[in-house]
Amino acid sequence: MNETKLIARNVDVFYGPKKAIDNVSIDIDNGIVTAFIGPSGCGKSTFLRSLNRMNDTIAGARVTGEILLDGENIYAPTMDPVALRARVGMVFQKPNPFPKSIYENIAYGPRIHGLANSKAEMDAVIESSLTKAGLWDEVKDRLTDAGTALSGGQQQRLCIARAIAVSPEVILMDEPCSALDPIATAKIEELIDELKENYAIVIVTHSMQQAARVSQRTAFFHLGNLVEYGETSEIFTNPREEKTKDYITGRYG
Amino acid sequence: MSNSTFNSPEFNKRLARRHAAERRFKLIGLGAIVISLAFLALLLFIMMRNGLGGLNWDFLSGSDSTDPHVAGIWGAAKGSILTMLVTLLLSFPMGVLAAIYLEEFAPRSRWIELVEVSINNLAAVPSIIFGLLGLAVFINTLGMPRSSPLVGGLTLALMTMPVIVISGRNAIKAVPPSIRDAALAVGASKVQAVFHHVLPLALPGILTGTIIGMARALGETAPLLMIGMRAFIVTPPDGITAPSSVLPMQIFLWSDEIDKAFVQNTSAAIIVLLVFLLVMNGLAIYLRNKFEVRW
Repeated sequence: MNETKLIARNVDVFYGPKKAIDNVSIDIDNGIVTAFIGPSGCGKSTFLRSLNRMNDTIAGARVTGEILLDGENIYAPTMDPVALRARVGMVFQKPNPFPKSIYENIAYGPRIHGLANSKAEMDAVIESSLTKAGLWDEVKDRLTDAGTALSGGQQQRLCIARAIAVSPEVILMDEPCSALDPIATAKIEELIDELKENYAIVIVTHSMQQAARVSQRTAFFHLGNLVEYGETSEIFTNPREEKTKDYITGRYG
Repeated sequence: MSNSTFNSPEFNKRLARRHAAERRFKLIGLGAIVISLAFLALLLFIMMRNGLGGLNWDFLSGSDSTDPHVAGIWGAAKGSILTMLVTLLLSFPMGVLAAIYLEEFAPRSRWIELVEVSINNLAAVPSIIFGLLGLAVFINTLGMPRSSPLVGGLTLALMTMPVIVISGRNAIKAVPPSIRDAALAVGASKVQAVFHHVLPLALPGILTGTIIGMARALGETAPLLMIGMRAFIVTPPDGITAPSSVLPMQIFLWSDEIDKAFVQNTSAAIIVLLVFLLVMNGLAIYLRNKFEVRW
């Protein structure tokens, strides 16, 4: 079921007087992985962060246009960014577990949202989140160990488990593998492929191979513009725009 | 080619000079440490020689008296403890909340910049000015009891708060932004992100700054002169509104006495004050290690 989850219409993002995103419109579907690619500074991360209003935390950042989540404008005054971020989770470039135990890392979100009413319920949330993130077997005997003591790849999967634990509808990933080695990267990509059944996933990546491997749709950004958006297979084999072609063939990057 | 460069007499001479400079620096650095520690050792030695003989239970449990053999330190020590408690209870929460607000919540504006500059200036204001302020505001305007640990504590809290704000802001600034992102991204509110994640990580730094500020307040004499804490008090204060003295003030008063026998009292009081400071610094290190999170 590929219904549209997120719709962006004529979105501009400003940092102070500087326009970082210029008139971007895009539809993001449920049940697939959408990749944002483009050279450094093209605005792909900026646009990603506007999808769960993480840009609100940056002084001087301003978003105009419309972004609809299930038809509801997330920048409407009635939309609470705290509630929004429970529905649209995020995984960052550098694994950023809390300096607490593995258990506490995952329990935090469900606890502040009141999603588990007993220790048993919380335990169940922890187990299912870690299982979905492919980490349960590796850490089930040491849930009280510090999350920061895990390896980089495990930390990133812990962060994914933490995002899953609050049952979001969309998961945004900002270059989730850029700090990881190839084996850890392969595991995360496998995980993304499994997770897409239940969530709309948007991934920003520097690696075109990664976009080709994990995504079904790809959006190519350049200098704050959305140059081309379509099926990943189309973008990589038969791009319509000259700029896209130059980028994916490595003419610039 | 390169072999000849690195074996030439020119190169070897330069190399020898560089090593000599390194040895010289190490010697000078060591000298600087030795000189400063030597003064501390000298101070401790003189205090011990003059004061140890006077440190006995009667001295530790007694209060001030005109008779140097009867005079004791407990009255002033209790005054110091009560004053410090008032200072801590006021300046710590106020300083930490101000630091959190300025660092995490305040919008960047001219107005906030002015507040920041003012706080930095406040930390550099000479302490006697705070004494005058305390006299004018707390005693003359608000009618609080003169010479009391309450007024002393309030005055010293004004002085300590900017120190806590500054160290608190630095500690909060040192918490990586990724932790805030992590909390916000699972749907924590700003206040939750700060109080659940940022503050616990900043706490060791805040505590260190607090204890440094408190140690400075413990040694302050000038502002307390202004609010009358130099009174001659023969019974330990029984509350924060009772007339009282404090340790550095007692040292100041005794050092001014004509009777030679007070020399021993002065030195003994200095030893007590130094022990106080040592305990506070020890506590700071203990708390810092206890709350420090490594990752």
